[in-house]
Parts: sequence; C-alpha cells; structure tokens
Amino acid sequence: MTPVISVTGLTRRYRDQVALDDVSVTIGAGSITGLLGRNGAGKTTLLRILAGQEFPSSGSVRIFGLPPAENESVLRRLVLVREDQTYPDINVRHALRAASWFHPNWDSALASSLLDDFGVRANKAVKNLSRGQRSALGITIGLAARAAVTLFDEPYAGLDAVARQIFYDRLLADYADFPRTVLLSTHLIDEAAALFENVVVIDRGRVVLDTAADGLRGMVTTVSGPVLAVDSFTEGRPVWERRTLGSQASVVTVGQVSCEDRERARSLGLDLTPLSLQQLVVRASGWSAGAGYLATRTSA
Amino acid sequence: MNTMIKIARYHLTQPVMFPGLPWATLAFAFAVNVARGGDNFRDGVVVIFTMFFIAGVQRIGRWLPFSLALGATRRSFYAGTALLGVSMSLVSGLVIAGLQAIERATGGWGLSITFFRVPYLLNGPWYATWLTSFVGLSALFVYGMWYGAVYRRWGAPGVLAFIAFQVLVTLAVALPEPGRVWSFLYSWSYVGEHLASLSALDLTGVAAALAVVFLVGGHATIRRAAV
Repeated sequence: MTPVISVTGLTRRYRDQVALDDVSVTIGAGSITGLLGRNGAGKTTLLRILAGQEFPSSGSVRIFGLPPAENESVLRRLVLVREDQTYPDINVRHALRAASWFHPNWDSALASSLLDDFGVRANKAVKNLSRGQRSALGITIGLAARAAVTLFDEPYAGLDAVARQIFYDRLLADYADFPRTVLLSTHLIDEAAALFENVVVIDRGRVVLDTAADGLRGMVTTVSGPVLAVDSFTEGRPVWERRTLGSQASVVTVGQVSCEDRERARSLGLDLTPLSLQQLVVRASGWSAGAGYLATRTSA
Repeated sequence: MNTMIKIARYHLTQPVMFPGLPWATLAFAFAVNVARGGDNFRDGVVVIFTMFFIAGVQRIGRWLPFSLALGATRRSFYAGTALLGVSMSLVSGLVIAGLQAIERATGGWGLSITFFRVPYLLNGPWYATWLTSFVGLSALFVYGMWYGAVYRRWGAPGVLAFIAFQVLVTLAVALPEPGRVWSFLYSWSYVGEHLASLSALDLTGVAAALAVVFLVGGHATIRRAAV
C-alpha cells in the first residue's frame, strides 16, 4: 500500500524552541488516525505543514507522493479544519459557497444538513458566531469537502457533548460511504477513541507512539490487590508504574493478558483493569522510553 | 474554473467592503461638499485612492488565512486578489471619468464644485482621466497588498521595519548631498522642479512602473508567509 501521507525527518524550529523534532510518520489510504499529545506538543504545527500553511525547517513531507506547499494538485484534495481558523468579514453562507468552489467533491446537501444539526444559521456573520458555532462551521466545511485527505485540528472547541456526538456520528457515516484519509487531533481521547484505527502520539515535538489502535487495546493493564500477590503476578512482566498503599499494590504492566493469566489473577484475588487510550497517552507522553517499548511490542 | 478567478469571486462575496466602502466614502465626502453648498473640499476624488490602498492591505491581511484553508496556493491567492483590485480600478476609473465629465458639463454640479477634477493630474480628456485613475488606483491597491503581505509574514514589527526601510530609500534617492540628512529639506524644491517637468501622462507611466515593482515585491514577501 502506498502511503497517502509520508513524513520523513521533519523538523520545525522557531526562534527559541523546536516544535517538531525529526518526525517520521506514514499514513495509509482510507484510515482514521488519532493525533494525540499535550498542548504545545507539535500537533498543530504538523497539521499546518501537511496542509502547506507552514514550512518545515528540514525534512520532507509528501502527500500522494508530492510536496503539498504551494501545490494545487495536492491542496485541492486536502482540507484542514483548525481550531483557531480566522475568517474574513463574511457570513456562514458565503464561507460555504467559497468552500464549494474550491473542493471538487463538495456536497451542498450534506453541508446544509450539518448546519441544521448544529443549529447554525446560514445568514449569520462568522464574526458573530459563538465559539461552538464557529467550530461547527469548521466541521461542516471539513466533512462536506469530502477531501481525500481530511485533517481536523481540535475541531470541536466549545461544542457541547451532543454536538460532539453529532460530529462523531456524521464523520463515521460519511466515512463509510466515502472512505478517505482522516487525521484527527484531539484532547478528548477516550471520547474519540472508538473512531481511531491508528494512533500517533507526539510529545515535545517527537513521535513517541505510532501504532494500530487495535494492538493497543488490552496491551496495558493495571493489576491491583495484595502486594505479595501483585508482585508474584507481575514477576517477569515489564512494569510501567508501581504504587503501594499499606498492604495493597497497584502496578501498570505492559503485554497481552492471556486466559490463563486471568484465571491466575482471579485465584490470587487480583483486579485486572485495562488502561484506556487516554490513560495510555498520558503515560506515553510522560515517559517516552516506556512508549518506545510499547511501540516495538505492538508493531511486532 | 481557474483558481485566480475563484479567488476574485471569493472576495466579491463581500462587495460591501470592497468596492463598496471606497465608493461610499467618496459619495459621503461629495454629499458633505454639496450640503455645505460650495467648493470647500477641493479635489475630493483623491479620497477613493486612499481607500483603495486600505482595501489592498485588508484583502491580503484578513483574507489570506481562510483562502489557504480553502486549498488555494499563496500564488493564486495573490494573483486573484491583484486581479480583483485591477479590475475594480478599471471600472472605478471609468466611473470617475464619467463623473468628471458631468461635473464639467454642469459647471461643477451647478455649485462651481471641483470635486472630480484635480488640477494637472486629473484634468484632461475623459480617456486620460480614465487611464490615470485606473493606473493610480491599481498602484495604490497593490501597494496596500504589499503591506498586507509584510504584515502576514512578519507582523506589526515587520510593517514598521518596512516603513523605515522605505523612508531610508526615499532619503537616499532624494538627498542631493549624501550623508547630510538636512539637505533633504532643501531638496524638495529640486524634486518639485523635476516633477513639474513631467506631464500627467509621464507620471501615469511612473505609477505603472511602481505598480509592477509593488506587485513583484509583494509576491516575493507572501511566498513564504505562514498562517
């Protein structure tokens, strides 16, 4: 499979900081990838460079095998929805009309039904929209564009839980009918986790985890119970974190848990809780070495 | 549809700000002039030239980010914006020439007003007025575009540096005695004499040449602007 997005050795330096440090990622056609990491980790910079809005200091970026910057043949098959998008003094209808001229697969019916779902009036000036409505406009453009490469950067700032669910549902429904390559950066990891086929975690400008989401499920487990039993169970397993409180211990361990393991845990009186994606990202961002270990295990 | 044309159309989704605002300002100035019943705002037509400059700044400064989000390249955005400015200058120049003809025919709107006539610059036959105002409006619009591009690329400090740079260049060109800043003050009569030897059409040619310089400079600036 030829990758749709391929990033090699990408570095972006600003005056006193390195926003991206030797990033290499490939993303295949027809997938939804979660781009996760803390604030300031470099997610937005990466997406802006992919969309040709920002320039790399070094390294290469290819989309459909071509550099995206100032390249119309790439850019018309790409859309980037940004949390901090600035608009000129136009109203919602004008913004959508302009978007329809630039995106060859634009679906006007989808755009107006999304606006209805989000409760955004088409004749409202963009500058008078609330934060959530502005996000809804961005999402509407991002979905109705049906661009082969669809990039969402924190698309739902200010949206309530119902509107976010509308976004997830509409994204999945439209993706099923018109598969494309979606890269979605978000802080609400557990909420969006079910969407992701792949996960890329960035921390301080570096990729600390790049793997299939399926491989991650059940890969990291918290074992809790009496100290002696926990220690006996986790012996020989890689341990990320260990906490004890009196005679009780709680240990985060990496590796699939087999049926025999479960049986044994039950007989030892231990609780096994799989780590959610969000907890996993929190730990991966805090402890890069552990994430590296995880990446090698899950890609094997 | 060509991307350049799409960009020009995209700008025209908001015609109230451009070309609406420059013409509304001019109409307001004219109305005030008429209401005061006389010729106390001579050469008022120059107002629209200033407004074209401001429009150029805004069209680049405020419209670039969403244009790139739509998938336009900087190149086509810049070219489409210039196309908008130049075509609006062409139409506006013709309207100015028409209003000037009416002003002449009616003896200054019946009130001896010289609003659409500027001595020496815009005071010839209708086609000369059309040409000079077309070139003048275009040059100021693309000059504004260059400011917008500088702002997008380097922010407010960049704009200040850009202005300082132009002041230095002007001083360097206009200084009859290099190194002596104050000689600049005495040199205006010298510059004035030079300008006086040029006809309005010569000046139009100079403005056209400057417009080309502004266009090239603005393009070089916007090429690496990030949003």
